[in-house]
Amino acid sequence: MSFMIEALSLHKEFPARKNGPSPGNGKNGDPRNDGGQRLFSPKARPQLVAVEDVSLTIQSGEIFGLLGPNGAGKSTTIRMLATLLEPSRGTARIAGFDVVRQPQAVRRRLGTVLGGERSTYWKLTGRENLEYFAALYQIPGGEARLRIQELLARLDLEAKANELVERYSSGMKQRLALARALLPRPPVLLLDEPTVGLDPQSARNLRQIIRELKEQGHTILLTTHYMEEADQLSDRIAIIDHGRVIALDTPRALKASLTQQEVCRLEAAGLPDPKPWASQIPGVQEVNCRFLTESQTWEVTLHLKDYRAAAPELLRLVTEQGGRVIQLSVKEPTLEDVFLSLTGKALRD
Amino acid sequence: MSGLLATVRIIWAIVKKDLLVMLRYPLNTFMMMVEPIMWLTPVYFLGRAFSSNSVARGFLATTGTGDFMTFVLLGTIAQSYISAAFWGMGMALRNDMTSGTLEANWLAPVSRLLLLFGKSVSSLVRTSLNLVVILALGNQLFGLEISAPFWKAGAYLLPMLIGLYGFGFAYAGLVLLLKDANVLTDVTNFLVSTLSGSSFPVKVLPTPLLMISLALPMTYGLDAIRSILLGIPPLVALGWESLILIIFALVFSLAGSYIFRRVDQHVRRTGTLSMY
Ligand SMILES: Nc1ncnc2c1ncn2[C@@H]1O[C@H](COP(=O)(O)OP(=O)(O)OP(=O)(O)O)[C@@H](O)[C@H]1O
Ligand SMILES: [Mg+2]
Repeated sequence: MSFMIEALSLHKEFPARKNGPSPGNGKNGDPRNDGGQRLFSPKARPQLVAVEDVSLTIQSGEIFGLLGPNGAGKSTTIRMLATLLEPSRGTARIAGFDVVRQPQAVRRRLGTVLGGERSTYWKLTGRENLEYFAALYQIPGGEARLRIQELLARLDLEAKANELVERYSSGMKQRLALARALLPRPPVLLLDEPTVGLDPQSARNLRQIIRELKEQGHTILLTTHYMEEADQLSDRIAIIDHGRVIALDTPRALKASLTQQEVCRLEAAGLPDPKPWASQIPGVQEVNCRFLTESQTWEVTLHLKDYRAAAPELLRLVTEQGGRVIQLSVKEPTLEDVFLSLTGKALRD
Repeated sequence: MSGLLATVRIIWAIVKKDLLVMLRYPLNTFMMMVEPIMWLTPVYFLGRAFSSNSVARGFLATTGTGDFMTFVLLGTIAQSYISAAFWGMGMALRNDMTSGTLEANWLAPVSRLLLLFGKSVSSLVRTSLNLVVILALGNQLFGLEISAPFWKAGAYLLPMLIGLYGFGFAYAGLVLLLKDANVLTDVTNFLVSTLSGSSFPVKVLPTPLLMISLALPMTYGLDAIRSILLGIPPLVALGWESLILIIFALVFSLAGSYIFRRVDQHVRRTGTLSMY
């Protein structure tokens, strides 16, 4: 089997910023390495670990999602794969070429969208931008014209192709950045937050385009902090936090890993405080009760092993207490729940 | 595509892109074109005030020519090429960094030195356009005429420019490292354009400043150009001046591109490029 993108124990440390904003949730180096010590051992400067021991092997034709909160190390990973940053340790290959030793061969096989909107010249038209980048990729003139026409049409930019990019909407700028990345017809696409800042409609369009690109055989690595996006697009997902991969699987398997823990919500009227008896139900791990004053009902959230096994007992108990069931539902776990159970915190603040 | 043709195409694409962007700022471009004339005007009238019958006698005694205005004009022209080679790449790099387009350029499978070189060709083209404007306006307003072997002067300008490219690469490296190199720009500007005598004969400098001036290769380049075009005696024999310029070209172009490559590598390690 051939891997189009391989990362083996990638590791990236940055010199900690002296007076910049304090590093979000990255880890700081040894705090004992303060200024005084640095004088004598200049190498022992405090380091910020942005990416730690990240290994990914992505097959040809796969869409792979990197999902993680702000500062998790997603962009740093992409930048290392795109030859813009050198890994501190570990190796990475694109289509078999080493990103450090064969950067030109890697760049020829990569289409990269980083910081999308700002990555094209706003004082040029969309077409002029593409002509310029086609020349940098050494695509011969006639061929370049054909490809540009094709990409403009495909990414729905034709109508404004001869207008300055500064007049484009965010969605159009993002699509132009994607067109630029697609010019050399690269087998591998690296997309860093391709839909960030787009309205829902444009984001949906772009996701559709990404799916089509997969169908045409591109291998795609994309980062996002929208879990729905990762869920919908990716064949496999790596959840990354503090620079580490904390889970890696298909979206379905990631969510299935949570089903040993089902979440069931019951709304019932005419009950005394349900907490004491609800905790007695076999398999229940956690009970949260809330009295809803507006409807004069109890809302009971149960975390349990097996909803099916527990449901009859639950219903029996409600009737026994003289209560009446208004609503009973089982919540499908989302990637958000996966993230929550892995890290104990929400994906987005 | 053969290597050379591919290279030329890339450079042309960069020049075309830069010229297009320039056209989208018409007022700036216009000001840039006429600005040299604006500061040359008082110099011209000052020169007139010191002259009788269009000959500045004191100036004639110092330099061997009484044609003060042409002396200054040649300096200005050469200086604008020097600046283009020296700062053109760093400035363009800085623009790409602030606009966010630098990474997109650097993702292309092209040598970064070639990308930089392309940027400087743009500034040379711009300088040449500027030169045409200066000469035309100078001719109209002040009746300036230069009828001397330009190509011969160009032969001295060329090695000087190559050496300056070396400086230019190093300067671009500094911009990568510091992101803002304004202080450095001011210092080098003073050294290069003032002390190398673009607007006065260096002979009049007091000894300490003259020493610095004579340590700058640009001084000899400017001197050689004027010597040829105005027929005045050079500071040292023209043969020596050309030797100095050729050595300068070799040493600095190698050192400069080495420095840039090292800085580029350093920046890839520290990641300073992706933070604005
Ligand atoms: N060039 C740099 N120098 C120093 N620290 C950096 C640099 N680039 C990133 N970092 C730090 O490394 C960590 C990971 O950053 P990165 O940009 O990879 O995160 P991310 O997952 O892309 O986050 P976001 O969702 O905000 O884009 C952060 O703590 C960030 O502050
Ligand atoms: Mg990021």
